[in-house]
Amino acid sequence: MKVLLSWLREFVDAPGRPEDIGATMSLRGFAVEGIERLGDDDAVIDFEVTGNRPDCMSVIGIAREVATAFRLPLREPPQLFPLTTVDRSDIIDVVIESPELCPRYAGAVADVTIAPSPDWMQRRLRAAGVRPTSNIVDVTNYVLLELGQPMHAFDHTRIGGRQIRVRTARAGEVLTTLDGKSRELSPEMLVIADAERAVAIAGVMGGADSEVAAGTSTIVLESAYFNPLSVRRTSKALGLKTEASVRFERGTDPNLPLLAMERACALLQQSGGGDARGTAVDRYPRRIESIVLQLRRSRIARLLGTSIPDAEVRHVLEALGFVLRDSDEGWAVTIPTRRVDVTREVDLIEEVARHSGFDRIPMTFPPLTAAPPPMDPRIVLARRLRGLVAGQGFSEAVTFGFTAAAAAEPFADGEAIVPIKNPLSEAFAVLRPSLLPGLVESAGRNVRRGQRDVQLFEIGNRFTQLDGEVQSIAFVWTGAGRPLHWSERTREVDFFDATSLVATVAGALDATTELRPLNTPPLFLVAGQAAEVVASGKDSGSASAVPVGLVGRLAPEVGEVLGLPSEAPAYVAELAIEPLARFRRTSLKAFAPPRFPSVDRDISILVDDTTAAGSIRDTVRGLAIADLAGLREFDRYGGKGIPEGKVSLSLRLTFRSPDRTLTDAEVQNAMGDVVTALKEKHGAVQR
Amino acid sequence: MSTLAPDRSTIDALRADFQVRLAAAGTDAAVKTLADEFLSRKAGSVTLLMKTLGTLAPGARREFGALLNSLKEEIEAAVEQRLQALAAARPPAGAVDVTLPARERPVGHVHPLMQVRQQVEDIFAHMGYDILEGPEVEDDFHNFEALNMPPDHPARDMQDTLYLGSPIPGATWGARAGGVPDAQVRAATLLRTHTSAMQIRYMKTYPPPIRIIVPGRVYRRDNLDLTHTPMFQQFEGLVVGDGVSMADLKGTLETMVTALFGEVKIRLRPSFFPYTEPSAEVDISCHKCGGAGCGICKQTGWLEILGSGMVHPAVFEAVGYDSDRVTGFAFGIGIERVAMLKYGVEDIRLFYENDVRFLQQFPSI
Repeated sequence: MKVLLSWLREFVDAPGRPEDIGATMSLRGFAVEGIERLGDDDAVIDFEVTGNRPDCMSVIGIAREVATAFRLPLREPPQLFPLTTVDRSDIIDVVIESPELCPRYAGAVADVTIAPSPDWMQRRLRAAGVRPTSNIVDVTNYVLLELGQPMHAFDHTRIGGRQIRVRTARAGEVLTTLDGKSRELSPEMLVIADAERAVAIAGVMGGADSEVAAGTSTIVLESAYFNPLSVRRTSKALGLKTEASVRFERGTDPNLPLLAMERACALLQQSGGGDARGTAVDRYPRRIESIVLQLRRSRIARLLGTSIPDAEVRHVLEALGFVLRDSDEGWAVTIPTRRVDVTREVDLIEEVARHSGFDRIPMTFPPLTAAPPPMDPRIVLARRLRGLVAGQGFSEAVTFGFTAAAAAEPFADGEAIVPIKNPLSEAFAVLRPSLLPGLVESAGRNVRRGQRDVQLFEIGNRFTQLDGEVQSIAFVWTGAGRPLHWSERTREVDFFDATSLVATVAGALDATTELRPLNTPPLFLVAGQAAEVVASGKDSGSASAVPVGLVGRLAPEVGEVLGLPSEAPAYVAELAIEPLARFRRTSLKAFAPPRFPSVDRDISILVDDTTAAGSIRDTVRGLAIADLAGLREFDRYGGKGIPEGKVSLSLRLTFRSPDRTLTDAEVQNAMGDVVTALKEKHGAVQR
Repeated sequence: MSTLAPDRSTIDALRADFQVRLAAAGTDAAVKTLADEFLSRKAGSVTLLMKTLGTLAPGARREFGALLNSLKEEIEAAVEQRLQALAAARPPAGAVDVTLPARERPVGHVHPLMQVRQQVEDIFAHMGYDILEGPEVEDDFHNFEALNMPPDHPARDMQDTLYLGSPIPGATWGARAGGVPDAQVRAATLLRTHTSAMQIRYMKTYPPPIRIIVPGRVYRRDNLDLTHTPMFQQFEGLVVGDGVSMADLKGTLETMVTALFGEVKIRLRPSFFPYTEPSAEVDISCHKCGGAGCGICKQTGWLEILGSGMVHPAVFEAVGYDSDRVTGFAFGIGIERVAMLKYGVEDIRLFYENDVRFLQQFPSI
């Protein structure tokens, strides 16, 4: 709300420089967005008026706040043209068909000569950011700015039947508004009509056909109160916001229209624009009365944490126009109808606090009456994972929760993706079904900026139609798998770097992982280097196994789409945290380290090169050798010296008994069983 | 050389020459060559001089003989010492060059927004707050209606909302799996515009007194620019109890900003939020200039940092609390805003680019 200082000073003797006034009002709830100096002794102060204070979208509203803040008297509007209200009038009649939507409508007629308005008026309008048009329209705008009552002027000759009907629009009714646009109205919209057709959209904008123009000699002035919700809905539906609509939709003062009309008629006369006939038809079928609220002294102290002297309470509220009557516990307060924001006791306490100053409130602490609860385990877990993964060399990324449809598509089935109804742009059109599109984009940005080796992770939520919101952790790794060092050759990241990280994360949550090849993986993974991660509890075995995520090499074409150049391979993984976290042990029974030595035995076998290492491991485990403590592949070799289609696999088996030192014969026996089983199951030949 | 006669200056010159060259001899071989040059039986310069002693008168012979002998011993001792020093400086067999660069293990860095978030969580955990997360996809009731923003409320325009194309399963709130009944499970229809939505879920589940902090991501239909992103992170604080006051709010906020920014003052300015009454914007005195006015605070001495207020009784009523018995305060603060002020970041988008060179300047954990 741009307020011209000299205009403000017609209502209150605001002291000091505009900056001082602005600084004081900022601490009363009216932040200053800017001050524009006009010459030496005038200025425009642009106050930010919060949405709950339509009464301050006017000079007098701001003046009342200034008067309260500086403890100065407030003057009433200077000149009024007294109007006699009549029930019927020959020259204009008003019929309200929808009193719910229009509780009050006043109309008055004036004879006018269209001309530019006087300079002083034009200057004030301009200062407030309103473009002057003609003396009549300028007067209505002047009243709007000064008192906060939106008004409208119709050309009397264009009001058919000399009758104003406030009614809802007829289905399909069309009105060309002042801005020249033809608008189709719907039956929930309130219009101002003459005997035949709509001439204005109530509270929003007038019609072009009934507009005051150069030849207009008689006008009908409208000053009304419209239902805020109705105006808001109409304005929204039409996509049409005006100075009038923003005030009506927040709530104007239902008891202001007649005063505003008298002010307008006085200004009309003063500016030489014309003369009011002297009567007004004021229909007020739904009278809106002031409410009375109880304000308890004790409640003020309880809410603010400090007590405010009675005299101060009374001063502040009376200066703002509230009427106070003493009651047992405090006051009975009559609320002016302009104060649409004050509907409960707490609203009055805010008024008192606002003007007695928030800085007077002391600083204390809320008493702790119960033991603090432990931190949300979900947050604790995310913190630990963050530390763990950062320790593995990954930097944490934070990416948006939405992405472009094309970016999401390789990561989820089309029907699983959740679209946003009103996206800001194509780039943010769907909720991310995976953290990976954003992570890969981030990696791509780094690579394009010359960072060759990039390791990023993110912890966050992904969204799908079926599962809703799912917390997960995801990684992308491109560039060196082993950093450059003078002592050895570097190498690019590979599949087993990626799975190592997956195992580390799962292990930290007490889960063990098993990888199952995906021969037809989702589009974002390369077939042949893609696996499903299946987790199970450390102690519970594979019976409890659940799929928790995917790992593999990023499909280069998907990387390209997301801006990650395809020259270097990139590996990605994503794991759902919650199913993994279920494996965390809630209690742990520690064991002492084994007392007896273990024995290692290595064997090398020839098997088909399509035989999965996992199946060989399963075969050995299937023997259920009691003292087998460990099993690990330590070499895999194919090529020269190995028959076509075969591969040499070397296994190290570790044997240990908890209660004695194993004999060579025992171990040899077990190894014999292993070799036999591998031969039977896999046709393995020992080398 | 044979014409040389031993005199004091010749002897002194030899000594000086030897000392300079010994200091420069960096290897065993060089030291030995040098020693030979002075002492070798055939051509050592000291040896040659000694050979001329016979030509001298007995007095001079004795005198210069003693001087030359002492020079010879001196040289022998110095050579021995030098050889020992060289041996001591030589790396032992199999020694590595310790000055070669270490193997660099990549070090990851926690995102600065998460570092700020953890710091805030810790500040409030110490003050006895429950820290928990809520769902990012929400329904109209939790995000708006229960927060005193019924349908068509003008304040809904203050937060331009992103809606889902079709409802998806609503989260039960994600936190405390098993520990909390599914208060209000509704199909999610929008992206939450503030973490305040979680206030409602919590209050519907637990009776007062409560004190919670809810960090998390929130969404608004804002374009990307220097100070806006369509997704950002907030934390919401809520304290409810018997007689919790605005003075308690002020004391709590001052503790928080002091922990975050050092010795700064706070200032509350009246404002408007539908879910608090009274409502206040909170400024801190500029931590850069101490309130004197600078570029960071646009010469005002103050920085706007968060929104706060006393919980509106309508919110208590929406969750079934007795609004005449309990009072409470709430506040919400943008994590990006704190991080920008703390680290002097002028473009919020840097936090979402994830350029590792940006990320790596913050402490690694």
